[in-house]
Amino acid sequence: MADVTLRTAPLDKARVLQWLQTYGVYAGVAVLLIVNVVVTPYFLSAENFRTQAVQVAPVIIVALGMALVIGTEGVDLSVGAVMALSASVTALYLGYGLLPALLVVALFAAVVGLANGALVALVGVQPIVATLALMVGGRGLALVLLPQLEDLRNPSLASLGSGDVLGVPYLILFAAVLALLVAFVVRRTTFGRQLLAVGDSRPAAQLAGLPVRRVLIVVYVVSALLAATAGVLATARLQASDPTSLGNLMELSAITAVVVGGTPLTGGRVNIAGTVAGAVLIQLLTATLIKHDLPPSWTQIAQAVVIVAAVYAARGRGKR
Amino acid sequence: MAPPAEVLAVRGLSKTFPGVRALDDLDLTLHAGEVHALIGENGAGKSTLIKLLTGVYRPDAGEIALHGRPVSFATPLEAQKAGISTIYQEVNLIPLLSVARNLFLGREPRNRLGMLDVARMSREAERTLSTYGVHVDVRQPLRTLGVGAQQMVALARAVATDARIVIMDEPTSSLEPREVETLFSVIRRLRDAGIAVVYVSHRLDELYAVCGTVTVLRDGRRVHHGGLADLDRLSLVSTMLGRDLGEVRKEGLTRFTGDHGPAEAEPVLEATQLAVPHKLHGVSLSIRPGEVVGLGGLLGSGRTETAKAIAGALPLRSGSVTVAGVPLRGGSTPAAIRAGISLLPEDRKSEGIVPGLSVRDNIALAVLPRLSRFGLVAEARVDGIVNTFVERLRIKASSPHQKVGELSGGNQQKVLLARWLAMNPRVLLLDEPTRGIDIGAKAEVQKLVDELAADGLGVLLISSDLEELIEGSDRVVVLKDGRVVGELTGDDVTEEKLMRTIAGNDPVRDAVEEVAADG
Amino acid sequence: MQRSTHRRRLLARPTVVSLAAAVALTATSCAKSEDDASSATTSSGAAADAEQKVASPEPGGKTCTIDAYGAEKLDLKNATVGFSQSEKEANQFRIAETQSIRDEARRRGVKLLTANAQSQFSKQISDVQDLLAKGADLLVIAPLNSDGWDPVLKAAAAKKVPIVTIDRKINATACKDYVSFIGSDFVEQGRRAADQMIEATGGKGEVAILLGAAGNNVTTERTKGFKDRIAEKAPDLKVVFEQTGDFAREKGQQVTEQLIQSKPGIKGIYAENDEMGLGAVAALKGAGKKPGDVEIVTVDGTRNAVQGIVDGWISGVIESNPRFGPLAFQTLETFTQGEEVAQDIVIEDGAYDEANAQSDIGKAY
Repeated sequence: MADVTLRTAPLDKARVLQWLQTYGVYAGVAVLLIVNVVVTPYFLSAENFRTQAVQVAPVIIVALGMALVIGTEGVDLSVGAVMALSASVTALYLGYGLLPALLVVALFAAVVGLANGALVALVGVQPIVATLALMVGGRGLALVLLPQLEDLRNPSLASLGSGDVLGVPYLILFAAVLALLVAFVVRRTTFGRQLLAVGDSRPAAQLAGLPVRRVLIVVYVVSALLAATAGVLATARLQASDPTSLGNLMELSAITAVVVGGTPLTGGRVNIAGTVAGAVLIQLLTATLIKHDLPPSWTQIAQAVVIVAAVYAARGRGKR
Repeated sequence: MAPPAEVLAVRGLSKTFPGVRALDDLDLTLHAGEVHALIGENGAGKSTLIKLLTGVYRPDAGEIALHGRPVSFATPLEAQKAGISTIYQEVNLIPLLSVARNLFLGREPRNRLGMLDVARMSREAERTLSTYGVHVDVRQPLRTLGVGAQQMVALARAVATDARIVIMDEPTSSLEPREVETLFSVIRRLRDAGIAVVYVSHRLDELYAVCGTVTVLRDGRRVHHGGLADLDRLSLVSTMLGRDLGEVRKEGLTRFTGDHGPAEAEPVLEATQLAVPHKLHGVSLSIRPGEVVGLGGLLGSGRTETAKAIAGALPLRSGSVTVAGVPLRGGSTPAAIRAGISLLPEDRKSEGIVPGLSVRDNIALAVLPRLSRFGLVAEARVDGIVNTFVERLRIKASSPHQKVGELSGGNQQKVLLARWLAMNPRVLLLDEPTRGIDIGAKAEVQKLVDELAADGLGVLLISSDLEELIEGSDRVVVLKDGRVVGELTGDDVTEEKLMRTIAGNDPVRDAVEEVAADG
Repeated sequence: MQRSTHRRRLLARPTVVSLAAAVALTATSCAKSEDDASSATTSSGAAADAEQKVASPEPGGKTCTIDAYGAEKLDLKNATVGFSQSEKEANQFRIAETQSIRDEARRRGVKLLTANAQSQFSKQISDVQDLLAKGADLLVIAPLNSDGWDPVLKAAAAKKVPIVTIDRKINATACKDYVSFIGSDFVEQGRRAADQMIEATGGKGEVAILLGAAGNNVTTERTKGFKDRIAEKAPDLKVVFEQTGDFAREKGQQVTEQLIQSKPGIKGIYAENDEMGLGAVAALKGAGKKPGDVEIVTVDGTRNAVQGIVDGWISGVIESNPRFGPLAFQTLETFTQGEEVAQDIVIEDGAYDEANAQSDIGKAY
């Protein structure tokens, strides 16, 4: 975007931070790719890229919904629980066939999303508190429905998890199509503009007559549906429903992807391309450290460094 | 009897914020047993003064002396320990703790084992509160009490902490009349006990009922101080607003031409007996097409609330709004907007613009659903409308894609006007449309208001700028304490009459009030 | 304004909880999972074969008698036994463990009180105190932590209630604060896994370890035993990759996918529990590998893993036997009759490989 300010000429430092926030994540991905090509054996293979893409696909799908929620100045902590819930419900209803089971999953996810949205938009509970309640309740419900891991042998489900079109796994296709769809909604639809306005200034949106409550509720429902999609895909890939561990800490991975991708936590801006790149960045980082057999604690430290850098860049930018 | 001791002496106090001299060389003296009114319009420096006295801010220059000794507070807690207590509009106690715990917070009675002596605490709390007219179960959480009772608890707590000075910042804004009475009797008791009270309020009746002395602030300076009884209401108001009574009305200071006039048409907007708890008590007004109706009154008189209530942004307790004869569903902004009502809010930055969105998206924000098909934005139509208004209102931005937050105040205001004009409204509610914008933009906005009225829009104009109000309006409705206290039309729309009406309690006002009360 | 949202927030929690409960009730009523027709959970019948056997005490190990402990003799048949489980029964091990205690109590006709701490240590402490208050004469505890048991031990000592801990030890004095500990030797499990790995790979090549959750003694001990034995017996076998799979199947799958990309020549994977091993199998399948391309050895002995041996994907499974019931009650009976019991009772864990997987799958849990 043209960097023209009427009031003051931007400082060089501010300009660097601005650049970092907008393009830092892509630069990070590029650096990691180059480093890996040089130092990691067997990195430059189609198979490897496929693996990374398949592993990151569920994170991307969840992060898309998270980006929308964060765009409204909210946060959705219940996404991991929704993934677990969708795993449970899939296992529970797979006896009717894949499609009916998926419909029931969507129903459950929509209910969780509605509950989140209603608490936030109608009751006025802070998003972090509302979705925390659903996070605890959702995972609890998932474990009540299916207390332990269950192997699934449904062939349609299996092909959903491991099948491909012209060598591109369904998981990657799903993530790509959903990312394009969400990006389109944000840029081209009334709903997208309204979402940004609600996130940037709720009172102004209200006084401008926007359907603030409806926007908020829809955003949380969409987030839950996307999380459920990720949950079903992960379950399909594993060919087992594992509500005890599926989606654990997914909310943090998704928030990280969104923030690293340049979407500010203060709302009013949604960067979908950045969010996808943010998820890819974390995936590549983890993969690099695992492939070189570095201690797992390093991965956490490296992730923390990336988040701190992203938040720092965002903060510098916020000081207008 | 010896003269009462000087409790507080403030000399030459100054405080500057970037771009604003909030307080300039201010003197203030408080004596024991004095109830001192502190008044002034928005931005006069009242809150800055309170924050300097209570240790929230540090002064740039000047000194504060307490009982003759210079003091300097680094934190509000220090000020509190030195004996300065503050009662804010919003009670700042802990809602989940019991009433008694709140009252004794930080100085709870202990028994010999060092444990909390709950029985004694409850007993003493009950006794203390009963002297404030509060009879409640003190073991209940504070939040179960009404706002008035909570305020009393806050007050009792302030007094109990050996306060020598109690500062009350609009303490009655959320109280019922009966509670106000209790508050006054408490204030009188504090006075008799030798405590100095600083009383901040815009309700003149209250000031005259309870205060003995007054300091009037304007633009960060003290413009008057002395006994309140020596100053009649009209002088008080004119001092506060900075108008000499004898001053002749100057023509041509604003860009209003007055080229429009009330057409003899049916009202486009009729508001009847609007009531909003604690804010409005039955406000009625009507606007005809092509008419600019001014809404006058002091800060806190209910002007902004009236506009918001008409626009559906405040839930009504009772009353109704009709647009061109069609009644409106209350409390719904979208319904009001659909009916053709547009509100330019007073707080442009936080309630008007969406700072992170572009000029284009801000202009199109409200009209967007009309420019969309199946939820998809018709970008070409948006560009058309945006370009039209950017040109017509001469909005200065580097491009329609520049963020609104980066524009000057005047251009932001024009963007908001464009947002509403794009909706083809019938009624425009303008709340302080020219506040905080530069002179050039101000003139443009004023000219635009004229043009719009000439085009047949009904306009409600709220302004603290008396000239703007008088020259811009065909008619001025005056509010006081949430009620209509007068209406000036034709040649009566003058500064002097306006101030008299605002001040009230003189022959002119009484006559007006009778008329209003009958209506 | 703030006050009102506060009040609303308080309302929100119970609403959500009751909503969730209602959903749970209705959701299961019309559910139909894949296995509904042939659903058969492991029952006590199959488990009988898999009863724990004592590996030690070797003669000369420390023992304990009721006189030394300071309790009074009683007849186990008329006693009330309290059982405190640490983690929620969401994995096969805990499910089988609790089931085994229940089955044994029913078999012996002993009155059993149970409690589950849901992985919260503070809850386990109050659970045990509850069990004592409800009149438990004897306690069997599966501890969540090793430390912090003093208040409970004092309360039990005051009532002279003997305690047996299973699967994890507590830091206290045996035969004074508690009677005996019954459990597996995790280091030994690691060693035996190494033996299987050496056999499967021929003692040469590169192998990987899928570690359990970090900071868990099971993880450290199973790792130590494995590495020590490899170093000692097969120096040509190199551990080239150690990454955590958090004891979870999905994580095991993801890590293994990275592993086989970057180290295509890997010969074996040691998974510190069955779930990660099954995740590794899923990864190998996804990468188009054939059974036997990579040797997998796991620890636990769940039915799925043993089935993996039958299918050819897994080379060996070291058992960590969760069926503590018979041995725990046997120990209590011996002790309460006044005879001596060992302070440390280490159980002998079984193992599954190609030879016995088919025949012994019924013993797996």
